[in-house]
Amino acid sequence: MKRNSIIVVLLALVCSLSLVFLSGCATDQTVKSNTIKGDANISTMETAKSKAESVALEEDTLKEAALKAKREQERLMAEAAAFKEKDIHFDFDRYDLTSDARKILGEIASWLSKQNGWEITIQGHCDNRGTGEYNLALGERRAETAKSYLMSLGIAEGRIDTISYGEEMPLDPANNEVAWAKNRRDHFLVVSKK
Amino acid sequence: MRKIIALLIFSVVFWCSSAACGKVYIDINSPAFQKFPLAIPEFKDLGNMKPGENLSAWFADQLSSTLKITGFFKMISQDAFLEDQSRAGITVEEIDFSNWSSIGSDFLVKGGFSYDGKNLAVEFRLFDAIEGKLITGKKYWGKSEDKKAMVLKFADETLLALTGKGGVFDTKIAFVGKEGSSSEIYTINFDGSDPVKVTTYKSLSLSPQWSQDGAKIAFTSYKAGNPDCYVIDVASGTTQKISSFRGLNLPASWSLDGKKILMVLSKDGNEDIYIKHLDSGSLQRLTNDRAIDVSPTWSTDGKKIAFVSNRSGSPQIFVMDSEGKNVRRLTFEGSYNSSPCWSPDGTKIAYEGSSNGCFQIFSVGEDGNNLMQLTFEEGGGESPSWSPDGRYLVFSSKKNDREMVCIINANGSDLRVLPDIKGVKSSHSPSWSQHLNLY
Repeated sequence: MKRNSIIVVLLALVCSLSLVFLSGCATDQTVKSNTIKGDANISTMETAKSKAESVALEEDTLKEAALKAKREQERLMAEAAAFKEKDIHFDFDRYDLTSDARKILGEIASWLSKQNGWEITIQGHCDNRGTGEYNLALGERRAETAKSYLMSLGIAEGRIDTISYGEEMPLDPANNEVAWAKNRRDHFLVVSKK
Repeated sequence: MRKIIALLIFSVVFWCSSAACGKVYIDINSPAFQKFPLAIPEFKDLGNMKPGENLSAWFADQLSSTLKITGFFKMISQDAFLEDQSRAGITVEEIDFSNWSSIGSDFLVKGGFSYDGKNLAVEFRLFDAIEGKLITGKKYWGKSEDKKAMVLKFADETLLALTGKGGVFDTKIAFVGKEGSSSEIYTINFDGSDPVKVTTYKSLSLSPQWSQDGAKIAFTSYKAGNPDCYVIDVASGTTQKISSFRGLNLPASWSLDGKKILMVLSKDGNEDIYIKHLDSGSLQRLTNDRAIDVSPTWSTDGKKIAFVSNRSGSPQIFVMDSEGKNVRRLTFEGSYNSSPCWSPDGTKIAYEGSSNGCFQIFSVGEDGNNLMQLTFEEGGGESPSWSPDGRYLVFSSKKNDREMVCIINANGSDLRVLPDIKGVKSSHSPSWSQHLNLY
């Protein structure tokens, strides 16, 4: 009886050991597969992380580009605004371009030819001598002459607008040669296309 | 338009010698014309005036200043009067004319007023003080507020009796009033009273032109950005855009029937003259020249058009027929002649021309003869416009950095500056209306 009991115990032990072994193998496999699963998760996480990083980088680049574009736009705006200070001037009752006027128009044309997104309005003005109506026509001629010259330098007609204010918007309202010379002018407004 | 329904004219009582006989005392167009020496003593209170209302001095002052601004009268100062006004009457029998002829007053106006509790009745009498006789007399009834109209009516009678032609007391002048960087269209009475702001766009509004019936004014405004042409009904303020081509849309002169406007358009890249037919909206092109063609003005009969062109190198006045044919150059003297305005009798054209570096007003016969310089002011003259009777010209003149609207007699005498208007810094481009039948 005692011997039988020992055999049973031994058998049970063997069985349990083999079970342990078997189950150990099984456990090992499960762990392994778990590990693989874990690896996959990690790699997914790593991809997400790199995506996030690259998005952030892209955003930075975009931000940088936007900043750059903004700076560029600001630079262009400043350059465009500078043309407001570059009136061209005319002799009394004349609308032909002086050499100074051609030089300034050359600068404007070269700038516009590089900046396709911009257009120009040319305002023609006169001094206050002579009739208002004739001066409206004269101011228009002054603007149109500058427009033709810009077109001859390759600027598309559609980018150039003209308007005459005749003698109605003098820079200097005084009645003397200095004021008159200042007032006989084309004024340029360079603006970004809408 | 103000209607004075209650204003009745009663002229049977008084003998109207000059108008009846058609006698004109003096030809005001004669180079030898001397102003009529005229005395106007205080009017007599003929009774029943409302307490506190003393119109004696008011009527004398108003009639004096009204006649004075016609430029045809030399008013005798009240300080020189010899007559005892408390005793003297207002009829031939009651006046000692030697009191007037002896102080150099060839003519005399006396008057009186009374109030019946409802209406004001005013008598006016114009006398020849040398001959000691009545020339014309009128009695008017109206409300108290019509008293200025009565004065203007009798001023008209006085001019009619002495010169054979009435005045322009019922006319207005339209002009551009600059207010800083914007400008608006204004109207003002002939005597400088009652300024009215016609536009309120806070933009640039320019070149007002009265229609022949005085009901409308055409003008150019930048209110929509481009210099477009509009017509405003003066009474109602209703405005219509009549032309908005790219470039200039400038109105210049209305036809007599009010159906056409001469315009300057630059829609084809070149300023040319067109007729705008207001009924159909159609355009008729009159000039087709590469030069600047502006400022067209119809002759009174509508058969000819004067305009400015720089086709010969500098701005000069040209004349063509109403179809744009037979163009001939009118002005040859001076390097800059512009802004023509045809006189109402059709014989001459007023314009501005450069003279010694300054612009002045000239007139020239329709045939190019009889060139006359009319203004010699330091501030010069620009943009002349005739009164409907052809006796006056309105124009603008510069002083420092301002422009003012001025009136002169057609012979160049009696310069008068229209009064300043509150808020208006500078005034230019005047246009004289036709008779508006205001009184």
